[in-house]
Amino acid sequence: MRVVALCGMGFGTSLMLKMFIGEILEAHGVKAEVHAWDLGSFKGQDADIVVAPTDMKKHLEGYQGRVVLIGNLTDRQEIEEKLLPVVREFLDAQP
Amino acid sequence: MLEFIVEFFSTPAIVIGVVALVGLLVQKKAAPEVVSGTTKTILGFLILGVGAGAIVGALDPITKMFMQAYDLQGFVPFDELVVASVAAKLGRETALILGLGFLVNVLLARLTPWKYIYLTGHMLWIHAGMWAIALNTLGLSTTAIVAIGSLIQGLYTTLFPAMAQPIMRKITGSDEIAFGHGQTLLNVVGAWIAKLFGKPGESAEEVKVSESWSFFRDMAISMSIIMLIVAIPAALFAGPEYVEQNLSGGQNFLIFALLKALGFTAGVLVLLQGVRMFIAEMVPAFRGIATKVVPGAKPALDCPVIYPYAPNSLMIGLITGTVAQVLAIALLIALRWPIPIPSMIVAFFASGSGAIFGNAVAGRRGAIFGGFFWSFAGFLLASWSMHVQLFGDLSALGAAGVGFVVPDGIAIAALIRLVGWLFGLGG
Repeated sequence: MRVVALCGMGFGTSLMLKMFIGEILEAHGVKAEVHAWDLGSFKGQDADIVVAPTDMKKHLEGYQGRVVLIGNLTDRQEIEEKLLPVVREFLDAQP
Repeated sequence: MLEFIVEFFSTPAIVIGVVALVGLLVQKKAAPEVVSGTTKTILGFLILGVGAGAIVGALDPITKMFMQAYDLQGFVPFDELVVASVAAKLGRETALILGLGFLVNVLLARLTPWKYIYLTGHMLWIHAGMWAIALNTLGLSTTAIVAIGSLIQGLYTTLFPAMAQPIMRKITGSDEIAFGHGQTLLNVVGAWIAKLFGKPGESAEEVKVSESWSFFRDMAISMSIIMLIVAIPAALFAGPEYVEQNLSGGQNFLIFALLKALGFTAGVLVLLQGVRMFIAEMVPAFRGIATKVVPGAKPALDCPVIYPYAPNSLMIGLITGTVAQVLAIALLIALRWPIPIPSMIVAFFASGSGAIFGNAVAGRRGAIFGGFFWSFAGFLLASWSMHVQLFGDLSALGAAGVGFVVPDGIAIAALIRLVGWLFGLGG
């Protein structure tokens, strides 16, 4: 599974987000590659789940992968509550 | 043999690799992670150099057209670009200040009541570069530059988040995260001034506004548009004869301007890819160390962490910041100081944060003022630093046509120069 954290530049917020996501998934025993990407170049990327701030919703319309939008980027609980169901859903959909 | 070792360990890319290697070893990472982390850090640093080269290649003719057209000196206010461009001369010092300065930050957080660990990777790198460049103008030895630079870096990364924290508590409604960005000084000063006439009860966040401005978050697009707006008229005013005879080697002047404007953005994207690669290794390593040594410390994070708390203020800042840039440029033209090319990155990331700080202490009026103040004062400061050559002759160091814009670093560099002058250094 490939999870991508997104922000405008791809090394500030998305990197923090990436570290939180990595820790959350590890705590729940989920194996995943987590990357931090910028808004400009993520479209050429292949991701199973994209995690992004809520205000990037417009940019993600029509994206083929699963999208998780986060309001408060430093609220670990919000990330966990929104991300985990999507991760489970993805894993269940796999053969 | 000894010569080889000295040269090996004074190559900037190797120094930054060693800093990453030590970070990974301290965290007791497995061998494959240590190897890939170290290699990626070095690759990131080399990619950064490729990007900087491409940018300078595109920027040089644009600034020449600009000077020919308007008889004014223009520069691009973009911190990463300056530090990347001087890497060949001061990259080693920058990398060492980055690594040792972080240790000073951890030590201060451990020993003092200011429990802040600065984790905004590109800002750590930019400031390390700024201290290296500023101290270099004083003619100090490498050892002195690294020692003093690391101390300044540690103090800066501990004290500036502490200065912003009272307002951060108002913005986020908690005491969990701190603000770690080079724009702090103008955010805080703007908010302090706004307090004098603001109405904290009337928050800008009570009004609903459209989301269509988020377009500017895609900086590849906003930067391309601005560079086209700068380059095409400059080419027109400079005239086809000048451009085709002196710069383009016969290529049509408009096509040339178009390609250079977009080539600039392409170079920036390459540069940022390099920044991304080495910062993605560095920040988790720093965080791993910090959480072990200073439990409960607050991470000082990049400015977008406050955006979700005040999206309206952010947009107000973008608008008033853009207006302020235009007015600041008009004033600078009158003064005949170097002209910063307008920057949507500054308007969005910096004026946006300035507005959020203003809104937190002074409501809607504070947001309008905070955003305006940031870009106006920020542009004057950036231009002033070029005008007085605060960082010495940046062109001679390899950074032609670019300048710093983060006010924290400019203000502290001015102090460094002042202290140096008192000791009779650097003139």
